Amino acid sequence: MNQSPRGLLGFVSATALVACSLLPTLAVAQSSSNPDQWIHVRVENREDKTETVRVNVPVDMAVKVLPEIKNKNLCDGKVRIDSGRIDGIDLHTMLDALRTAKDGEYVTVESKDDSVRVAKSSGYLYIHVTEKKPSEKTAKATGDKDSAKNAALKESKVEVKIPMKVVDALLSAGKDQLDVVAALRALSANGDMELVRVKDDDSTVRVWIDSKNVAN
Amino acid sequence: MIFLAKAALGLGATMAVAGAYVFHDGVIRVDFDENRPGGSHVHFWVPATAVASLRLAPRHCLEDAAMKARPFLPLLREISKELEKYPNGEFVEAQDLSGRVRVAMVNGKLEIDAVGDDQVVHVRVPAETIRNVADRLEDAAPGI
Repeated sequence: MNQSPRGLLGFVSATALVACSLLPTLAVAQSSSNPDQWIHVRVENREDKTETVRVNVPVDMAVKVLPEIKNKNLCDGKVRIDSGRIDGIDLHTMLDALRTAKDGEYVTVESKDDSVRVAKSSGYLYIHVTEKKPSEKTAKATGDKDSAKNAALKESKVEVKIPMKVVDALLSAGKDQLDVVAALRALSANGDMELVRVKDDDSTVRVWIDSKNVAN
Repeated sequence: MIFLAKAALGLGATMAVAGAYVFHDGVIRVDFDENRPGGSHVHFWVPATAVASLRLAPRHCLEDAAMKARPFLPLLREISKELEKYPNGEFVEAQDLSGRVRVAMVNGKLEIDAVGDDQVVHVRVPAETIRNVADRLEDAAPGI
């Protein structure tokens, strides 16, 4: 993961923020979350399996505890966005446009090293990013740039899948706010699913929701 | 002789009831070890009842603690309430070559383990005790 370029990390961060904010629109219809649902986050070093992080949080617990956190940017289970803009992007408007748009593939970028795909289909938002880069280990081992260029390319993949209901819930708090609690409820009501999968040369990251209280 | 027997029976029964009451909430266990020459080693077990009721704490200390913890008491109360719903579950596990951290509920107790190269910490606290402490602190800091 530490080999990933800043662009990819930035994109992952942005998608994570979007994922977090996508959790809340159908809050009115879904007053309670499924008490058996757990959100899992697993980060593993692919080479050395002894380096792992596993986080398991019951959705119901998160829904009840989040509103009690009073922070500058997180209050009453809602994340405040500074004027709804992040690096000049009106996130709220962008998500709202996406929500109301028809199914289709919105962004497709194909280049020698990267591919990006953003699509909406059957009530889900898909974001797939693939980045190919020379293995740094090979480059370091050989010690010259030409060898590095010719070395086998390593793929880094980011796959995000988010129910549009969660996007709706996220936007339900109005402008400048993302309702995380409502989004969690919507996510819980959606059932078991994998939300985020990141795989690169060094590590794998997985975020999913299911009814098990262990991250296996 | 009969008087002595009655007295012994009464004393024994009282001790049994007192023991049952003292330990009915379980036990809080704290282990702390520094794995270096001259390092500290702290190990103690405390009946959860003694901590949960906070009866032993001086009132002014309790009020002071309650005022300082005031912003976080609703959060503490909600977390403790929720923890009781999950008597067995692992919340956080992180490990690398230098150590391991684990936060889990096991049989209704919150278990926190932090094992590093030179320090080891184990804490076991019944979830009910956390809620009782939150309640007592709220009582000491009215208006929350």
